[in-house]
Amino acid sequence: MPELLEVNHLSVSFFTGGGEVQAVRDVSFSLGAGEVLAVVGESGCGKSVLCRSIMGLLPRTARIKSGSILAAGRDITACGERELCRLRGSLFSMVFQDPMTSLNPVMSVGAQIAEAVRARQPGLSRSALRGRVAELMELVGIDRPEERMDLCPAGFSGGMRQRSVMAIALAGNPRILFADEPTTALDVTIQAQILDLLREIQGKLGTAAVFVTHDLGVVARVADRVAVMYAGRIVETGTAEEIFYDPRHPYTWGLLQALPALNRGRDSLRAIPGMPPTLIDPPRGDAFACRNAFALAIDYEQAPPMFRVTDTHYAATWLLDERAPRITPPVGGGLDG
Amino acid sequence: MAKGNTFLYYGKKLLLFFVSVFVLSAVVFFVSRLAPGDPLRAYYGDRVEKMSPQERAWAEERLGLDEPIAVQYARWLGGALRGDFGISYKYKLDVWEVIRSRVGNTLLLGGTGFVLIFTLAPLLGVLCAWQEDRALDRLVCKAGTVSSCIPEFWLSLVLILVFAAGLRWLPSSGAYSIGGGGAADRAVHLILPLAVVVIGHLWYYAYMVRNRILEEVRADYVLLARSKGLPRRRVLFRHCLRNAAPSYLSLMAVSVPHVLGGTYIVETVFSYPGLGTLSYESARYKDYNLLMLLCMLSGILVIVCSILAQVINEQIDPRLRTREAAEPPEVTER
Repeated sequence: MPELLEVNHLSVSFFTGGGEVQAVRDVSFSLGAGEVLAVVGESGCGKSVLCRSIMGLLPRTARIKSGSILAAGRDITACGERELCRLRGSLFSMVFQDPMTSLNPVMSVGAQIAEAVRARQPGLSRSALRGRVAELMELVGIDRPEERMDLCPAGFSGGMRQRSVMAIALAGNPRILFADEPTTALDVTIQAQILDLLREIQGKLGTAAVFVTHDLGVVARVADRVAVMYAGRIVETGTAEEIFYDPRHPYTWGLLQALPALNRGRDSLRAIPGMPPTLIDPPRGDAFACRNAFALAIDYEQAPPMFRVTDTHYAATWLLDERAPRITPPVGGGLDG
Repeated sequence: MAKGNTFLYYGKKLLLFFVSVFVLSAVVFFVSRLAPGDPLRAYYGDRVEKMSPQERAWAEERLGLDEPIAVQYARWLGGALRGDFGISYKYKLDVWEVIRSRVGNTLLLGGTGFVLIFTLAPLLGVLCAWQEDRALDRLVCKAGTVSSCIPEFWLSLVLILVFAAGLRWLPSSGAYSIGGGGAADRAVHLILPLAVVVIGHLWYYAYMVRNRILEEVRADYVLLARSKGLPRRRVLFRHCLRNAAPSYLSLMAVSVPHVLGGTYIVETVFSYPGLGTLSYESARYKDYNLLMLLCMLSGILVIVCSILAQVINEQIDPRLRTREAAEPPEVTER
């Protein structure tokens, strides 16, 4: 069965005054219908750019340098703006990080949802449109939609706004939903509600989803599969179980060790030392080497290829090479444990 | 409750207005007195030089110039409150009379200029924003920057040189020909001054519109609007313009005095009989009463426009609106 979304060797760069910023470097992944993929990584490692390049919403200074994006069988990179415009909303749509800024402040929420509906069904009558908007608002858990659709976003709380953004994203019955850190800007209690809602709707409508997040708690809650990104590359990918119970890449270990739940009883939270490298001139070899306690000499020389662990689990670290020393991972307990 | 608060809101604005006008009157009065020059020259012309000290003292007493400056101010203020701003030393007429004869010309020039600038600026600004960083935008931006940097008096002289002295297509000065005065005649006289006013101000506002829209284009809600499948054009016109419009309205309000100030300079160069030339003359001849009234009128216009801009902003943008104004109730999570 052909995958719904297939990204092959995608590279995206920003061309700025300071030089070429290689935000996404040679990324490949696929997404099946109805599947939920979580893309995890620190800030600035290319997660959002990846989503935006698939949606064709890159800023002017960025360009897809190479690679292909096949969505429902067609190559998006070859599509013009007009065609992309038709695909947005119907094939894929997106939920953004900050619901305080992603809704237009001077337009009523209902009108903004209606716009999304009408973009797909231009011939809808006024009352049918209102009905559909109310239906969408109910779907995302906003009750009494009739009286609330005429309010501006200023009258909505953060959680309600994010629900409205989801209603907008779902208006065209998209087959893929991108969620770019959809809970980062929300209260912790609301975060859980929104995640459960996303998962519920995703299950109900059969929408495939790409979750971008730096919160592994979110991943555990929603994802079928996980891709760990570092410095513009995918360094490890596998099913959620594989990533949580049998992580192979030292960066994934670091991320898991930094989880507050695993730091109980300690005075301070564990963190990965240092910062991600700038992507203007990425270092030779493995970009993570200089922060990696388990780095091998070859890590500074040559970037590791993707090593196969299982058919679904791959990791880019030389530790998986036959000649590498055996290291007991500091986290995870194996799939059986 | 809400009614009382509206009353309070406008009451505050009114108070602000009166305080500003009072401060303005003091500044106008004292600065005009401090400036060098001989007010008697405006009244008596060249005869001043032949006056004996006694005659001078008598003349000063007659015009009330011999008293302490504070007393003079109090007297002027008292008259001003009754609408009596005295007579013009130069024209020997009530200053209102003098102004009345000129104000129409300035309104014609300034008003037409204002309307032109404020219809062309958004068009140009939107065009540039739409074409951001493409050849057209770059060209217009560069041309605009150059045009807004050219001093108005210089541009006026160049235009006079080319179109009046050289090509002889247009008149070089005045508001109408002697003996003429029909609409066509006036229009012809208006072309050059108007061109200078528009060229001198247009880009300033067009550029603001352009940048304001580009600021909106980079906002997050644009990404959401595009991701739901709206074409770029629709996002720009339906979403961005709507957000940029309030600031444009308030910009219009503050720009009234700016454009008016520009017409003053242009009027002087073109010897256009408006308030600009009148202010220039009155400052030159120390025609105090006339000068002060003109300054007061321009100043009041500035104050009114600023307060108006403030009110527009506060009424349209819910974030600037004070708590007392009605706001939709916050709807919270169940």
